[in-house]
Amino acid sequence: MPYIGSRVLDRELKKGSAELLILSLVEDQPRHGYDIGSLIEQRSNGNLKFSVGSLYPLLYRLEKRGWIQGRWVEKPNQRRRRYYKITAEGKRVLKAQRNSWKEFVEAINSVAGIEMA
Amino acid sequence: MMRDWKIDIEKRLGVSTLAPADETDIVEELNQHLTDLYERALLNGATEAEAEQRVLSDLDESNLLKRGLPTTHRTNRAEPAGDRPSTINKIFSDVLQDLRFAVRTLAKKPAFTAIVVVALALGIGANTAIFSVVNTVLLQPLPYKDPDRLVIVWEDASVIGFAFNTPSAANFFDWQKQAHTFEGLAATARQSFNLTNSGEPERLDGRRVSGNLFQLLGVEPQLGRWFVPEDDRVGANRVVMLSDGLWQRRFSSDRSIIGRTLTLNGEEYTVAGVMPERFEFPSHDDQLWVPFAFTSEQAENRGRHFLEVVARINQGVTLEQARAEMTTIAARLETEYPQTNTHIGVTIIPLHDELVGDIRPVLLILLGAVGFVLLVACANVANLLLARAAARQKEIATRIALGASRRRLVRQFLTESVLLSIFGGFVGLILAFASIYVLKSLIPDNVLSSGQITIDGKVLAFTVAVSVITGLIFGLAPALQASNFNLNETLKEGGRDSSAGNRGHRIRSLLVVAEVAVSLVLLIGAGLLINSFLRLSHVNPGFVSKNVLTMNIELPDLKYPKQKQRVGFYDELVHRVEQIPGVKSAAVINSIPFVLQGDSFGISVDGRPDYAPDKRPEVTTRTISSHYFETMGISLVRGRLFVDQDRLDSPSVAIIGETMARRLWPDEDPIGKRIKPGPLNSDDPWIEIVGIVNDVKQFKLNAEPKVQMYLPYSQFEWFVPRHLVVKTDVDPVSIASTVRKTVWDIDRDQPVSNISTMDEVLATSVARQRFTMMLLAGFAGLALLLAAVGIYGVMSYSIAQRTHEIGIRMALGARTADVLRLAIGQGLRLVLLGLGIGLVGAFFLTRVMSSLLFGISATDPLTFAAISVVLVGVTLLASYIPARRATKVDPLIALRYE
Repeated sequence: MPYIGSRVLDRELKKGSAELLILSLVEDQPRHGYDIGSLIEQRSNGNLKFSVGSLYPLLYRLEKRGWIQGRWVEKPNQRRRRYYKITAEGKRVLKAQRNSWKEFVEAINSVAGIEMA
Repeated sequence: MMRDWKIDIEKRLGVSTLAPADETDIVEELNQHLTDLYERALLNGATEAEAEQRVLSDLDESNLLKRGLPTTHRTNRAEPAGDRPSTINKIFSDVLQDLRFAVRTLAKKPAFTAIVVVALALGIGANTAIFSVVNTVLLQPLPYKDPDRLVIVWEDASVIGFAFNTPSAANFFDWQKQAHTFEGLAATARQSFNLTNSGEPERLDGRRVSGNLFQLLGVEPQLGRWFVPEDDRVGANRVVMLSDGLWQRRFSSDRSIIGRTLTLNGEEYTVAGVMPERFEFPSHDDQLWVPFAFTSEQAENRGRHFLEVVARINQGVTLEQARAEMTTIAARLETEYPQTNTHIGVTIIPLHDELVGDIRPVLLILLGAVGFVLLVACANVANLLLARAAARQKEIATRIALGASRRRLVRQFLTESVLLSIFGGFVGLILAFASIYVLKSLIPDNVLSSGQITIDGKVLAFTVAVSVITGLIFGLAPALQASNFNLNETLKEGGRDSSAGNRGHRIRSLLVVAEVAVSLVLLIGAGLLINSFLRLSHVNPGFVSKNVLTMNIELPDLKYPKQKQRVGFYDELVHRVEQIPGVKSAAVINSIPFVLQGDSFGISVDGRPDYAPDKRPEVTTRTISSHYFETMGISLVRGRLFVDQDRLDSPSVAIIGETMARRLWPDEDPIGKRIKPGPLNSDDPWIEIVGIVNDVKQFKLNAEPKVQMYLPYSQFEWFVPRHLVVKTDVDPVSIASTVRKTVWDIDRDQPVSNISTMDEVLATSVARQRFTMMLLAGFAGLALLLAAVGIYGVMSYSIAQRTHEIGIRMALGARTADVLRLAIGQGLRLVLLGLGIGLVGAFFLTRVMSSLLFGISATDPLTFAAISVVLVGVTLLASYIPARRATKVDPLIALRYE
């Protein structure tokens, strides 16, 4: 699947959806930053990509808002890593964002005439 | 050994802006991440150099790290997430952001912003102006010490129609001796003073007062000293207290005035002090005060009622306790002095109520009216914002899609509307300053003293509060609509009928209905007042006011102690004035109509058993010179008028009014009957009734005429003439200075004051009604204008939205009339709904103003109907204009319109 439209749209969409993506990824289990970045890249077939410079400011912002919580974890035979876990507040936000995103996508789809798979 | 990225990371961070602990953590975390990246690149088959290249390019991308981290990491991360300071910071920064955004949005639409600000400024300005009057008159404490404990004490003589009768001196002194619930009682009595021997003679309104008055009020003079009880004794040196106004105007604020001697009514008085600037008691006309110094004979008089008594209730004593005690004292006096005190009670009124009693309902109604105007303005602005919110749907959709929460959106909308209303409030404040200036000139002097009306801190707080609340009220509708926003539907909606569009339309329609209803209530209120005022102006006062000049000429007792001297002066004056070219006739009288309640006394009738003291008919009495009736255009019903032969030494005669004739001699002819003042056995001579004239409204147009009679002033020295009336062929004002000069030709020291025409006197008597009517009519007009604009706006909007539909209809053969009917019909439905609600509201609300109405009921069906017609007419016009535009639509263009 090709990149969506222009670079501008790409950037705007990414900004709007990044929070949603991160929150979804840490919803079930705590993850570290590299893990999160790789998962986004993998699951979007490489369409969505976050550099270090864009991912970490986002993580820190979410943490500051109290939606996720980071903690240093050292497991045997592994490097020390900072894992992020979703908070109760984060879960509420995630739910709300999922809903509005769903509405938005449906709206776009019905306007732009894209059939749901 | 693995490559370490810490140095690369540190180089790219805005290092100095981060806390060291934070920095270490961040650097380590990023280092781990980059290590992972590097490893993966190697695993994927890259060379070490390629892998390093890839990692660094990721790190460098868009320079985000440097910009992003410092902003997210300004606070110490060691603190728990969501801690208080950062929450407050966030709210604060959000509010700032909202404000910045709001300012930008409003600046982008200057015309829209200006319209909204003007509408709000009108509403808020009117509220601020009226509130500043309410604040000054009703809310500010009176400028005396502990004013809450000050009361006015009246004699209750309801039996003869005077519930608030001025007490006699003897009663006052008995109260003073016997009452224990009061800290003190002080009396005052009106007195005018002719100030001579210091420039042009001048007549000044003032008071004779008890020596303890100023202590009782607790106000220190700004210069000199208080009166002391010694000043208030017969034979004491005469002293006078000046008002600040008199001191400034007449004595140029000369501080050496204390101890100087002034000639007042021909007697010498030493200036004891000058009261402070704002001091007035009891009325703002009073310019000086002198002690009573009653003789023992005067102090024992129970028949002459002329005092006004102010008292200070003891700390901790309630008004009810004071009333109870005074009732007991009155009952005791009644048994002691049955001749004078039978059925005479006591009425106690808090001083504040006494001073603002009449004006309070007027002000409260006006305050309610401007509140309504503001509501209409709010509805209009809400409508404008709703229409604009509809135009901003795409923006809202995008913001929601990009993660803006609904709460955040509502807040953004409310920030905008509150900002608007604060602008409006600011402009309104400027309007209020201007309108207070105008109001001061509009408020008649006899309604309230307007000099002290200002915008103070309390008024400012009121304006700010009203602005913010206003902003929240009119911002709520668009904000709620935005929060109910449905992304799907918005993006699906092509600008035509949709549920969201319908919902917006419904809110707008409801606002129009509300506007119509509120405006109708205001208009009906104004209509009732206008109607009352017209009726009041058409009341026949019983005299002809046209071309009549009046002035006060009060002879000082000292210079004219004898009746004969006074008669000599006035006869000469009338004679000379009648010689002036342009004068038809002239006369003197003790009190012209509409200035004072006037003198009155109880009478007994020859040949009838004497009346019980409380049943004695009280007759309003005017003492006049012989040409009074022709000067005032009062007509003789039967008998004869006074002639020049009715003199001091001829038999006493009287002319009575029709009401008196009917009341006292219902089945007889009063001509030839005899009466006398007081009981049958009094020393006064019998007075024979020689004529009957038509009744005159002596004090109020909206009151039944009193039982009244006229006596030749030369035969009855109790009531000394004070006024000259002159009937002219020419403009009465043009001869005023000639008349004044004639007075000074006879007595160079005789002051002349209150020169005005009888038309002006009449107008002043209805000044309060005119003032209230004008203001309320103004506010109602404003509301009507706002409502019309609002309806016009909604109709234009709704018709613009239906252009497509109208185009189809016209393409299918609809005629202009059909389209007009369709479009106007929609407006008419809203107006009629509003009308129905407004009529019900008015039916209940206009009752509060029934005390202001005259000759008309608060639910006068004619007014209700006429105003409804006016409102429907104006609003139909407001919807006709956009409807008319709709009929001009070219079907082809309309169909393409999207």
